[in-house]
Amino acid sequence: MNALQVTRWTLQEALRRRLLLGLLLLSAAFVALFAVGFLLLYREVEETSGGDRLAAVLSANILTVLGLYAVQFLGAFLALFLSVGAISADADSGMLHAVLGRPLSRWQYLIGRWLAFAALLSGYVLVMSGALLLTARAVAGYQPVDPLRAAALLVLEMLVLLTVGVLGSTVLPTLANGVVTFSLFGFAWLGGIVAFIGTLASNEAMANLGTAAGLLLPSDALWRGASYYFQSASFLAETSAVGAFTGGVPFAGSSPPRLALLAWALGYLLIAHLIARAAFARRDL
Amino acid sequence: MSRQASAEPLAGDRAAAEVAPVIEMVGLRKAYGRRVALHDLTLQVRPGEVFGFLGPNGAGKTTAVKILTGLVRPSGGRVRVLGFDAGDPQGRRRIGYLPEQFRFQDWATGAELLDFHGRLAGMSADERRSRVPEVLEQVGLGGRGRDRIGGYSKGMTQRIGLAQALLARPALVLLDEPTSALDPVGRREVRDIIRAVRAEGVTVFLNSHLLGEVEAVCDRVAIVDRGRIVRSGRLAELLGPAVSLRVELDRVDHDLLRELGRHGDVVEVAGTSVTLAVDGLGQAPAVAELVVQRGYLLYGLVPVQQSLEDLFVGLVHGETA
Repeated sequence: MNALQVTRWTLQEALRRRLLLGLLLLSAAFVALFAVGFLLLYREVEETSGGDRLAAVLSANILTVLGLYAVQFLGAFLALFLSVGAISADADSGMLHAVLGRPLSRWQYLIGRWLAFAALLSGYVLVMSGALLLTARAVAGYQPVDPLRAAALLVLEMLVLLTVGVLGSTVLPTLANGVVTFSLFGFAWLGGIVAFIGTLASNEAMANLGTAAGLLLPSDALWRGASYYFQSASFLAETSAVGAFTGGVPFAGSSPPRLALLAWALGYLLIAHLIARAAFARRDL
Repeated sequence: MSRQASAEPLAGDRAAAEVAPVIEMVGLRKAYGRRVALHDLTLQVRPGEVFGFLGPNGAGKTTAVKILTGLVRPSGGRVRVLGFDAGDPQGRRRIGYLPEQFRFQDWATGAELLDFHGRLAGMSADERRSRVPEVLEQVGLGGRGRDRIGGYSKGMTQRIGLAQALLARPALVLLDEPTSALDPVGRREVRDIIRAVRAEGVTVFLNSHLLGEVEAVCDRVAIVDRGRIVRSGRLAELLGPAVSLRVELDRVDHDLLRELGRHGDVVEVAGTSVTLAVDGLGQAPAVAELVVQRGYLLYGLVPVQQSLEDLFVGLVHGETA
């Protein structure tokens, strides 16, 4: 199938342009930094708290989720950087002309590129979150609520961002698409914070505003869903027992994602794909 | 000679016209908003011919080629390529295309690029293994297949583009300004390649503004200006019969020019050479006799045909030749 030839070619490009090597080296550095930081901070908390179990659980949870939050940001940036010029850059340079002169439909080209980027992104967030969770487990015996669901939601977030970027690249020049997609991502992130504060302050208007931002781009909502499952089961049990941190931490979810969010995210993915397909099919190159 | 705004088959080519055309445009129109790039283009290209699509920059040539490959959608009219609607991936199986804006993935080697295009064209691994070095050799890149395209010169990049166009043994090759980055030797080599693929029965649609190139290899041409075909037909018929005589002598004076003026119009005197516009080549013996009888030494009497450049410039500047 020709779409898979495009996928293969795009992955070959990532390898040859040293994207994978750069990603690998920086990721290794990030994980090493996290491991050292986690070890030092966790030990300090253990020593200074005098065996306070809640303090230990709390610090392990916050450090792990904070690390995963950074992974989420890095993954999101990677998704946006990969996708903003996925079509437009090659169309503008003329590189697409000879390729689309072959018996290859535009949809095959688009899905071929998307699959390659999706594989890179999924691999990245899975390896990185796995590495962080293993580190936390080795140091503090950290046990997340449901790492598989968490990883699946994180991958879904990356795919949503990737698809939005690819959609934008079928209709906008690369720079304009970069500005639009990064702004959308920032908007959704801010919406998540507003919703968190609204929930904490029992302000329904603020909470609804945050939900509306999540509808526009469900990236932050998906992260909050993922982060709920990434948190440690003992943290959730202990905090709920003592009535502390009832609203959770500002950058993570305090309840499992609703089914409606999952349905919206999947529908969003599908609709964005269909719009991208139609827009690219109509575009004069 | 056809003087209509289309490139319909000519009266003398009726038998050939009965063969299903490789390219058929009927009333093709393309507009970008209010700007019309192509107006009602009608032409046919027959199997095995080299068809020149000639025009100044901005005439709409590249737009027409992009419509043939499906890169641009027509606003109106009908376009069939190898029996399929333009843009149908099935039709593109047998098309080789060198875009005007030839840019290829600079991180890949020439051989990798061709391998990728071979895969897209549905060539088997064995075919690709044998065909890639062959086509690299054909375009003068033998031994350079393992070099990265990023290190190629502009001319080499155009050659690798030509190689990818010829790779899958297409039935139709669309070449959009194929020699724009080449030196004179490279241009001659490309002309030889075009002749070689025509000899194999391949149809070539050559988009160019280089008149010498078109004159050297094309069987038929269409001259397009501001989105309209202003003249089309066989090259020899377009250029017409020789209409001037160049008389080369030992000397030129007013008496001779007056005498020559009885046989035609003196259009140019350059040193001891006189160009005389005549009604037909039948005037040549009378001119020769006159010169010799008056005691001049005649070194040459050359029929001069209108050049494609004369025709082209005349047409695009509204001074129809």
